[in-house]
Amino acid sequence: MNLVRKTNTYYLIFLAFLFPVMIAVDYYFIQYLVNSEVEEILLHERERIDFHLDKEGVLPPSNYLLQSTPIDNGAIRPEKFNDTLIYEAYADKQLPYKIYTFTSSINAQPVKITLRHVLLEIHELIWLLFITTSFVILLLVIGLYFINREIYKWAWNPFFRNLSKLKQYNVTQKESIHLNTSSISEFEELNEVITTLMDQVKKDFQNLKEFNENISHEIQTPLAIIRNKVVLLLESNNLDKKELARVEAVYQETNKLSKIGKALTLISRIENQEFRRLDRVDVHAIIGNILSNMQEIINFKNLNVTTELHPVTIECDHILADILLTNLIKNAVQHNKEGGSINMLLNEDKFEITNTGEISEIATEKLFRRFQRGSSTKDSLGLGLAINQKICDIYGFRLAYDRNEEIHTFSLFFKG
Amino acid sequence: MKILVIEDNAELLQDIKNFLEEEGNICEIAPDHKSAYDKIGYFPYDILVVDITLPDGNGLDIIREVKKENIDAGIIIISAKNSVDDKVHGLEIGADDYLIKPFYLAELNARIKALYRRKVYSGNKEIFFNEIKIKPDSHEVFVHDRLLNLTKKEFDIIHFFVVNRHRLLTKEAIAEHLWGDDIEMADSYKFIYTHLANLRRKIAELKGKDYIQSIYSVGYKFTDRE
Repeated sequence: MNLVRKTNTYYLIFLAFLFPVMIAVDYYFIQYLVNSEVEEILLHERERIDFHLDKEGVLPPSNYLLQSTPIDNGAIRPEKFNDTLIYEAYADKQLPYKIYTFTSSINAQPVKITLRHVLLEIHELIWLLFITTSFVILLLVIGLYFINREIYKWAWNPFFRNLSKLKQYNVTQKESIHLNTSSISEFEELNEVITTLMDQVKKDFQNLKEFNENISHEIQTPLAIIRNKVVLLLESNNLDKKELARVEAVYQETNKLSKIGKALTLISRIENQEFRRLDRVDVHAIIGNILSNMQEIINFKNLNVTTELHPVTIECDHILADILLTNLIKNAVQHNKEGGSINMLLNEDKFEITNTGEISEIATEKLFRRFQRGSSTKDSLGLGLAINQKICDIYGFRLAYDRNEEIHTFSLFFKG
Repeated sequence: MKILVIEDNAELLQDIKNFLEEEGNICEIAPDHKSAYDKIGYFPYDILVVDITLPDGNGLDIIREVKKENIDAGIIIISAKNSVDDKVHGLEIGADDYLIKPFYLAELNARIKALYRRKVYSGNKEIFFNEIKIKPDSHEVFVHDRLLNLTKKEFDIIHFFVVNRHRLLTKEAIAEHLWGDDIEMADSYKFIYTHLANLRRKIAELKGKDYIQSIYSVGYKFTDRE
């Protein structure tokens, strides 16, 4: 839900509560006003009647007079207002009236005088006022809605322009972003903060990149030296069994370290999007190359490979495509058992590779994380699938794994 | 052959120099850009081994200079910059080969010899080791002048062995030589073992001696010395 909708929703909710309250208040207020107006008219009439009685001793003609009845002297009642319904023949229905009863005296004879005033038009007036008010409020709401929308469009314009710029922002690009300025101070402030943040991120990114480059350079040379020296030690023929075992361990761990370094460098380079080329990659040909390179080891393991490969080209970096497919096929060979089988299927939608192999102990959802490996293959680094996952992330490929007892299937979908 | 190694790490430089000299080469060293220029200007070299990142400049500039001066030397780049751009770029401006650090000295040795053979003998040079003769160009191996029937990987193994005779070749170095960095896996060591057994058998069938020595559990040596 966008901002204007959200605000409008809250406005509407607020108005939905306010509206009946306002109407009710209006209604009772107007009713009160009209009532007191009517009462004032009747009181005024009473004064006129009293005055006339005082002077002339007879009741004056009055439009409001309902009746006058002589009463006993002792039975003076307090004056009071009543609402009542009186049947009117001309309208053929009962009409609401306000009744005012008071006592006076005609020639020393106490009389009860009742005055009345019809409330009919007054009710209509209340309704009229009610409708008018509602109409005004409705206009107000509609007006507010449109004004709000226009203000939103105008005032938030720089915000949205900046937002779309930020969406396209890529930390690997060299040029920095210029944000649109705005007359609204909050937005200006936001721009400043974002610019500072972006500069910081860029700097961090550069540092990280440099760090990675340095690490890969600075670590590999010492590793090369260690390895050479260890080989010299092994060549020297002077070691006893114990020493030999230690030197061997050093040699193997050095190799592992070097491979981890290379693999992690590759991952971070993929993450940094340093592979930007979009080649038209012939998947069929790559798979053919990899298979022929591994043919002897496949024969050696006595694997039965069946393929159903259709010519397919995808758009991505050639090197990454090679790494991706090599890792998948290598996996299928490495984690296979003696005399097992590999099935490959390649078509426009996917590359699917199925192999026999031991039941993996790694949960499927953990499979694509770094340094996850099955216990049977201590020599693998557990980085191949993490690398594959990164490559798929860049190009929007999807990699899925499925196992059924001892049958493992990796599917690489070229379209999400 | 005469080799100049340009590399800024003194220790690695010394290792390479020792290794190449033990192979019977004349090996000179240059730890930086400037001394490399000086040496290239004065002496002819068959092979230049060039590191890309140097303290006072870029190894690629040296290659450009060599190509500009029309110096006839084979060039092998050694670099930790595991970047394909660098590799492509280096080969584009005239380098002959590219090795990524950390590399096995045996691998460097094999590459240098292969390059030298290509440059000087246009690849027609045969390699001899006692009764064994290798024709690298046609991928043929002869024992007592009789052709050995080898698979491609078996040829690669024996070729790598003969080029690095008398040296310890670890299983890792052999695996990397056979498959490159990407494909090497646990099975490859078993694979190597089996293929060495095949190789021994095939050579023995042609009355060749067994020169393959197992060195502990680390690797193998191809040698006629005790």
